[in-house]
Amino acid sequence: MDLNFDLENSYTAFYPMLVIILFAVVLPAIHRLVKSSKGLAGVSLVGILISAAIVVYNIMDGYPDPIVFNGTPMLTFDVFAAVFSLVFLSVSALVCLLAARYVEKDSHLAEFFSLTLLATAGMMIVASASDIIMMFVGLETTSIASYALVAFRKRDRLSTEAGVKYVIIGGFSTALALYGISLLYGLSGTTNFELMNEFFALNGSSSLALLGIGLMIAGFGFKIALVPFHMWAPDVYEGAPTPTSTLLAAGSKSMGFVLLFKMLLVALIALKADWEVVVGILAILTMTVGNLLALAQTSMKRMLAYSSIAQAGYVIIAIAVATQFAVESGIFHIITHAFMKAGAFIVVGALIYKVGMGEKITDYKGLAVRAPLVAFAMMIFMFALAGIPPLSGFWSKVYLFSGAVEASTVFDQGWLIWLAIVGILNSALSLYYYARVVKYMYVDKPASHDKIRVPTTMAVAIAVCLIATIVIGLWPDIVVDYCAQAASYFSQLPLGRPW
Amino acid sequence: MFAEYAWLIPIFPLIAFVIVGFLGNKLFKKAEGGAPIAIIMAAISCVLSLLVAYETLTTGEVYKASLEWMVVDGFTFNMGIYIDNLTALMLIVVSFIATLVVIYSVGYMHSEGEKKRRYYAIISLFIGVMLGLVLASNYLQMFIFWELVGLCSYLLIGFWNTKPSAASAAKKAFLVTRIGDIMLMLGLIIFFVGFKGNLDFDYIFNNVDLFTGGDSLLTLGTFLIFGGAIGKSAQFPLHDWLPDAMEGPTTVSALIHAATMVKAGVYLVARSYPVLIETPDTLIIIAAVGGFTALFAATMALNNTNIKRVLAYSTISQLGYMFLALGASGYLFAVSGDPNVGYMAGMSHLMNHAFFKALLFLSAGAVIHAVHTEDMMRMGGLSKKLKITSAVMLLGCISIAGIPPFSGFWSKDEILATVFETGAYNTGFYLLYAFGIIAAFITAFYMFRLWFLTFSGKPRDQEIYDHAHEAPKVMWIPLVILAVLAVGSGLAGILLGMEGTIEPVAYLSTMHIASGIDMIVDMFQHPLTYVSIIVAVLGIAVAYLMYYSKTIDPARISESKVGKKLGNVLLARYGFTAGYDLFGIKVIYGISKAVDWFDRNIIDGVVKLISLICTLVGKLLRFVQNGLVQTYASIVVVGVSLVVILLLAFGGMF
Repeated sequence: MDLNFDLENSYTAFYPMLVIILFAVVLPAIHRLVKSSKGLAGVSLVGILISAAIVVYNIMDGYPDPIVFNGTPMLTFDVFAAVFSLVFLSVSALVCLLAARYVEKDSHLAEFFSLTLLATAGMMIVASASDIIMMFVGLETTSIASYALVAFRKRDRLSTEAGVKYVIIGGFSTALALYGISLLYGLSGTTNFELMNEFFALNGSSSLALLGIGLMIAGFGFKIALVPFHMWAPDVYEGAPTPTSTLLAAGSKSMGFVLLFKMLLVALIALKADWEVVVGILAILTMTVGNLLALAQTSMKRMLAYSSIAQAGYVIIAIAVATQFAVESGIFHIITHAFMKAGAFIVVGALIYKVGMGEKITDYKGLAVRAPLVAFAMMIFMFALAGIPPLSGFWSKVYLFSGAVEASTVFDQGWLIWLAIVGILNSALSLYYYARVVKYMYVDKPASHDKIRVPTTMAVAIAVCLIATIVIGLWPDIVVDYCAQAASYFSQLPLGRPW
Repeated sequence: MFAEYAWLIPIFPLIAFVIVGFLGNKLFKKAEGGAPIAIIMAAISCVLSLLVAYETLTTGEVYKASLEWMVVDGFTFNMGIYIDNLTALMLIVVSFIATLVVIYSVGYMHSEGEKKRRYYAIISLFIGVMLGLVLASNYLQMFIFWELVGLCSYLLIGFWNTKPSAASAAKKAFLVTRIGDIMLMLGLIIFFVGFKGNLDFDYIFNNVDLFTGGDSLLTLGTFLIFGGAIGKSAQFPLHDWLPDAMEGPTTVSALIHAATMVKAGVYLVARSYPVLIETPDTLIIIAAVGGFTALFAATMALNNTNIKRVLAYSTISQLGYMFLALGASGYLFAVSGDPNVGYMAGMSHLMNHAFFKALLFLSAGAVIHAVHTEDMMRMGGLSKKLKITSAVMLLGCISIAGIPPFSGFWSKDEILATVFETGAYNTGFYLLYAFGIIAAFITAFYMFRLWFLTFSGKPRDQEIYDHAHEAPKVMWIPLVILAVLAVGSGLAGILLGMEGTIEPVAYLSTMHIASGIDMIVDMFQHPLTYVSIIVAVLGIAVAYLMYYSKTIDPARISESKVGKKLGNVLLARYGFTAGYDLFGIKVIYGISKAVDWFDRNIIDGVVKLISLICTLVGKLLRFVQNGLVQTYASIVVVGVSLVVILLLAFGGMF
């Protein structure tokens, strides 16, 4: 292959990730000086903030040129990448805030924060990739970092077991995805999203291409815990240290959506007619199975895991509908979900850290008496996840479902309305297990009446999620505008806007 | 000139409501719980009302002013003031009587302690909203005040809220009038649709012919509007709440009966007159309901021994006369096309009734204040102790009985004359005339029965008699003022030419204006006038024979077999109370229970079934989640195979 490194290339587009990677590499060295987990979290936060500042600067001041390799763009830091980078950085910051105290008694602290940052960098690379290879590099960076993070507490059997499961199923899925991608590459002869789409637009579908798509969906579906590739998620979320669960549920999952958005809505949009129904079926299956299983849970983290699976089902609606508005709604839901789910996990983590309880749902009985503010925050997160107005989760669901309804009428795809109907029924179903937590907290009697004081760093993290959930609920426009800009990245899709 | 400030009239009592209601116990601990503020504000609005009314009645101009309130879907709702001679009359009656009642309350409610703040606050609100109702320039605005009037009467009837009978009377008043309110609302919806969303009086009265939807719809609309009046003015069959409403303080009863609540219904019908004359069928119903109620309610007063309840039945009966007048007059105008005095008679009866009924209630209040019982069987001989009260009450009784030249005579006689005249066009009105005449006889009888039982003869309860005392000045001065009006308002009204002034817009001032003297001469040349006078005198005479001279022993009638049965029927209010309770408890509660059962078992059952299925499926799915990574991997394989197969199937590759 004629490798043609263009040294004239500007690498500005890579700076946000570069900062994160630099901090990740330097952290073990800093650990020599800074012993405490608080200090390391602080250093990590500095890195995250610098990176975020660069992202915001880009948003304000215009986006850098893409990094071109061999004549095709590899990395494009555009508004889509910027919005998702901010999501990943926020999640990462929240994880650091939670971990600042959560892992304080563990060893290998530097590695924990370093790996968290590396995972974040990988996610950002995925968000800005213009090429499958680049995207795959980002994906693997995140995956390998998170395998280690899951098994971080190597003396904890649950943690180790979760790590092993995650590695095996993760590796298996990655292999499937890679196989699928190689088929698609073999057919089209390119790894660039746009070029691949041009090829399929010209040559149409083939059974080999569909096999590739199927394998790719399975491989990337693993990341977002798409049913039936979701089995690992509850075990891993439950077994992993809570900061890692947060990273997986709010960060890694969002990255999975980016993967599917980019592959299906850019590279394979020409074959939409072939995959849209299958994606729709997977969406319905995912939200229904997720919610049904969440109903039967007694462990809080497992319940949140299944709730995450169900929420993924809602987002996948955006891919099946495939209008710019739907994608905008999907991105909006990813953002609102990141904050409300992260908030819920942080509450769980804070309680496990502070009083060693919070794993079981019954542990939440009477929490309103013992920790009124934390209970209030948890109630808001639960209601937002259930989609109760005027919280953020309500609006993003409204957007998603109205996108589906609109597409079913305007674009004459009647079956899409079923996505909205099943989605709404599922929302009603989900209210049961979310409201149950609220009932335990506010109605039932606590086992003891001792007050619980959550550490400041965790309280800050909870407050950030709480404020985001409420403020986005009251003024959705501030976020939706950016989601719309990000969705314009999918320029091939019809605009679609129900109002 | 004054009319421009008419919007202030309801504002003053409302200010009193706010000040007294929120600060009463702090500011007026030593000042009768805020009574001075309530009196001053009521008096100011009374003076302003009189000025506005004087201006309107003398110039004869209709004053209209409105602000745009809200625009919804292209419909404009206004908030405004509409003052014509009818409004003027109502302003005089409401504000004047209300002021006197509030002054009187200082004496009557003196021993109520901290509750006085609540009393004066709500009564101020009551006055304010009633004045607002009278001044409203459109049906919607009127309806809002109408509901507020209902609310205030609920609060005041249940003023002694710790007494179960008062609490249930308040509920009854609220619920029974609510039936009427619903009809009124439906009527207004019909108007809203038919008049294209414009509910302004000014527009509707001048454009009745623009109603879209046909005559039968308009008839239904006016009938439903009258339905509201049936509830509010306690007409048959929604009359049953008013006797129970006697559980409130007597001052409240006086206000409700003379000036506010029940008069709102009559006012509504009088106000809607220009529309009503287009629907003669509704007018017949109004006259029939009114005439029947006049007689029906009067009979129930015959043997009741509770002084306030007798007055309550008499109010229902007298309101019946007013509706009879409005119905007959409107019908007569609709069929003959000539203006008549019926409308004026109805409205002046409203005014006269307001004065003598306020007088009677407040006198009864003075009696109750003196003897602390409402049971007439424990009174007797009180005229020696309550000289002023017994004298003014006697004047009130003569007035309501219809003896010339007391006020009740003039209006009642004109009403009956109009009804008789209408009989020429529809013979049914002769029957209503008969009802009216019989009711007049009964009225004269039971009012004097009341007076004789209370004030004459020997005391039936010596202990009560010994403790009785005349009311304080603050109570008897308003009584004297009212007595003067109860005696003279009728004649004064005729001499001042009310016939020409109080007439509906629809007549377009075509009515010939006879001088007052001519009219009186006319009346006394008419043989029917003597019929009215004779029945009234007869009624008084029978009462005299039975309860004063004891020539006829009332026990002989009440103890006889038929008398006993009849008496029980009357005391049971013809079974209406029991009927309502039966309907409420058995039918409505039964339906509620059935619905409750359906909700609990069928609807909840389905919900529970669904949730059971969901939980079961969840548990089944959980079974697969066995924690073994081999299983997970196998499922991934199965899953990916299915996805690929589906893709191929939908991609048409098979």
